[in-house]
Amino acid sequence: MRMVLKGNGAVAHGVRLARAQVISAYPITPQTSIIEGLADMVSEGKLDAKFIKVESEHSALAGCISASSAGARVFTATSAQGLALMHELIHWAAGARLPIVLANVNRAMAPGWSIWTDQNDSLSQRDTGWMQVYCESSQEVVDSVIQAYKVSEKVLLPTMVILDAFFLSHTYEDVEVPEQSMVDGFLPPLDLPQKMDLERPAALGNLVFPDRYMEFRRKMDLAHDLALGVWEEVGREWGGLTGRSYGLVEEYRLEGAELVFVTAATAASTARVVIDAMREEGIPAGLLRLRVFRPFPAELLRGVLAGRKKVVVLDRNCSFGHHGIFHQEIKSALYGLPDAQRPPMYGFIAGLGGRDIRPDDIDGMLRGVWEGRITDPVSWWDVLEAKDPARAAVVMA
Amino acid sequence: MVELNPKFLEDLPITSYSDNPTTLIKTGTWKYVQPSYDDKLPACSNLCPAGNDISKALDLVARGQVDEAARLWRTGNPLPATLGRVCPHPCESECNRNAFGGAIAIHTMERFLGDRSFDPAFLPEKKPATGKKVAVVGAGPAGIAAAYNLALAGHDVEVFDDKPAPGGYLRTGIPDYRLPKEILDREIALVESLGVRFTCDTRVGRDVTLDDLRGRFDAVIAAVGFHRSRPLGVPGEDHPKVYNGVHLLERILLGERPELPARMAIVGGGNTAMDVARSLLRIGVEPVVVYRRSRLEMPAIPAEVDEAMAEGIELHFLTAPSRVVVEGDRITALECLKMRLGEPDESGRRRPIPVEGSGFQIPVGGVVTAIGESADLDFLPEPAREGWRIAADSRFATPVEGIFAAGDAAFGGGTVTAAVGEGRRVAAVVNAWLGGGELPQEAPPVQGLWSRPVTIARTVHVEQLNPAYFTEVPRPEIPELPPEQRKTSFAEVMGGFTEEEAVAEARRCLVCGTCNECCNCLYFCPDVAIHRRENAFGFEIDTEHCKGCGICVEECPRDALSLVEVTS
Repeated sequence: MRMVLKGNGAVAHGVRLARAQVISAYPITPQTSIIEGLADMVSEGKLDAKFIKVESEHSALAGCISASSAGARVFTATSAQGLALMHELIHWAAGARLPIVLANVNRAMAPGWSIWTDQNDSLSQRDTGWMQVYCESSQEVVDSVIQAYKVSEKVLLPTMVILDAFFLSHTYEDVEVPEQSMVDGFLPPLDLPQKMDLERPAALGNLVFPDRYMEFRRKMDLAHDLALGVWEEVGREWGGLTGRSYGLVEEYRLEGAELVFVTAATAASTARVVIDAMREEGIPAGLLRLRVFRPFPAELLRGVLAGRKKVVVLDRNCSFGHHGIFHQEIKSALYGLPDAQRPPMYGFIAGLGGRDIRPDDIDGMLRGVWEGRITDPVSWWDVLEAKDPARAAVVMA
Repeated sequence: MVELNPKFLEDLPITSYSDNPTTLIKTGTWKYVQPSYDDKLPACSNLCPAGNDISKALDLVARGQVDEAARLWRTGNPLPATLGRVCPHPCESECNRNAFGGAIAIHTMERFLGDRSFDPAFLPEKKPATGKKVAVVGAGPAGIAAAYNLALAGHDVEVFDDKPAPGGYLRTGIPDYRLPKEILDREIALVESLGVRFTCDTRVGRDVTLDDLRGRFDAVIAAVGFHRSRPLGVPGEDHPKVYNGVHLLERILLGERPELPARMAIVGGGNTAMDVARSLLRIGVEPVVVYRRSRLEMPAIPAEVDEAMAEGIELHFLTAPSRVVVEGDRITALECLKMRLGEPDESGRRRPIPVEGSGFQIPVGGVVTAIGESADLDFLPEPAREGWRIAADSRFATPVEGIFAAGDAAFGGGTVTAAVGEGRRVAAVVNAWLGGGELPQEAPPVQGLWSRPVTIARTVHVEQLNPAYFTEVPRPEIPELPPEQRKTSFAEVMGGFTEEEAVAEARRCLVCGTCNECCNCLYFCPDVAIHRRENAFGFEIDTEHCKGCGICVEECPRDALSLVEVTS
């Protein structure tokens, strides 16, 4: 059925179609309309689930962990400070190997307070063992939520489905909402191999001595390796059912591209316009959109980027004291390539705290690099210049 | 099962789990506070002048153990069926259920339990005979309660009263539409079943002397109450159609139907005024109540005023009589002055002040005075009297050795319930005195759970409850005779509960301050350190494993658990 939905609405419909059984959540802008939508669906009887309103995000995830440990399909949503408050349990959910799906609406971390988008909140959870999928459109959101359950339940790892604040969460688009019967065929009811059993009481996640801890961590890492293939397989299966296939990354006009622009989420939509215009002019530019960030598709990226002339990475995030996070990850993936195959890379940090990334910005980055005017490995884009960086770093106006 | 010596990763579960019990680790040494089950005083019992153990009894009713509850209620209270009809039930005013749908109908519950237990099998077991003898002067509620408790303690008790039958004001001052005499008779019969002798038509000081009693008994309790109306102090009040309210009421209640004027003024705002007005209405007289202050200051039980107004009785507030108007030999009117309220007086109520030039007449053919009562204390020796009251200290002892006192004439509690509570307490004092020959340091407290110890002397108000566990359930309507049917008969106005209704109502009780085995502590304890007692009520805390986290105390809906500091 075609519906006009904003990104948050698309999340709610995806969760409904996946037949989540327990939703444990706490409101936070810009995520709130996701759980509002779900609360309405539950109260109207459109979704047969237990909706648990809690007093904090920490408890929201605790509720999901408990219900999932008992074998239920669960969901929660959050943003920024809320995700940060969950952090302890974010680790727990992954370590306990629970197939929880969480929607995180990317919102910049405070201070200063911001409700607008950037990716530092979700990327701060990079090393917790969760899978991360960055979405570009409401259509991709609804499709990805459903796929996330399928992948999570196969590899027994939780997934964060991530969407930009406002640019996606609150922008209405035309969306094809799948039929329930089709989704039911795609996503069977959850049957976890290891769950709470009242007949056999046990302490879950108990103390593990040094002689075994590492084994459990090795199993988690193997699950991530396995998940790379599962995401591709599930994305293809979804394509067979809906005509919309998904991969770990999306390639746009990369054939013959010597200048490759890499980014994630809604900035990719803006980039397409710029790439099209440059191609018109005869500049051999193309776009590589990152979709699944964990597990990280290093091999795939190496294959796609090997031999390109120049690679430009746009990061709506920053690992302070180093590069943009996507930039450093991609660079490390290319390390094994022979010199001739390894393209020089240029990173841009832009759009933090919801600052708009316009076509002109992307055009400026690409032309500057292509024409050799920009040679710095990392540049902050569209930001006030520092006359004296050492002074600017610490001075109080 | 976990493979103990895995060769491959596949031999391990997906994440760690353990089926070893947590009791392996003794976490009890971590704590600096220890939870314990401590009964506290619920807000209802805190306001009960008779000391009824309301929450425990209601918990029993809720479990369907209705007879147990009735037995508990009669532990020290001989008059639940009576009080369940005439008590002003202050307990309900601060019932914590008020915040969740309306106070529990404790008053109606007391009536239900009282009406269920007219069989001596419901009485507590009598202690072995002590050989001590106690005389009680006055067979009103204070005297009955004292006699009942002393008889239960094994003493030989005789009660003297100048009226033809025991009951005091319950018989001569409370009309049948509030308290059918059959109910009173059955409760008195229960007291008699314990061996208490009621010697009626015997006025101490006239038919028998106090010295005689002191010679024959080890202790004497004066529980005489108020039976004399005070005069109005206005011209014309010596007219034969000006009646003493207490005496007129007594005559009507004993079945007399005197020749009375068609319309009469009743002067006063207390229970006697209401009872006289409503009784006159029932025998065909049109009553007009005249009260010098406003409705707010009326000492009568508010429900009784409501009922009187529902029956259409005319009330004049802020009105004081100044003269009984007599023409020829007939009363034609009561002349009155309008009043306004000034500053509060020593009673705490605002003092009425006459409004000059406001005189007016209420046409009536007769007047009844009901402006307060006093006692006849001539039988007592001088040191035991203090003006119009019995001189008694907080231990119920008069300055004369062996003479104790309770009830309105001593303390002016003004309600049957206060009298029952005082009877109960004076019995405790006399029992101690007879046992050891010395007065106790202090009398038992007015409020308390008489049937079990309160380990932490604190009252549980709504702030101490965990509201997450309580949802609003509305209070039931108590059946009541329609006003039209009341006016012409002395049939009982208020109805009671069926057993089904009583159980449903008891289930609304929050059981404040007392464990009712809701099991929240059991479910929440993260150390599995709470266990059910075997073959006994309640739970035990395993101190070897309780680490004093306090979750059980936090999650106890009813403040039945407390954290106590551990001193090693």
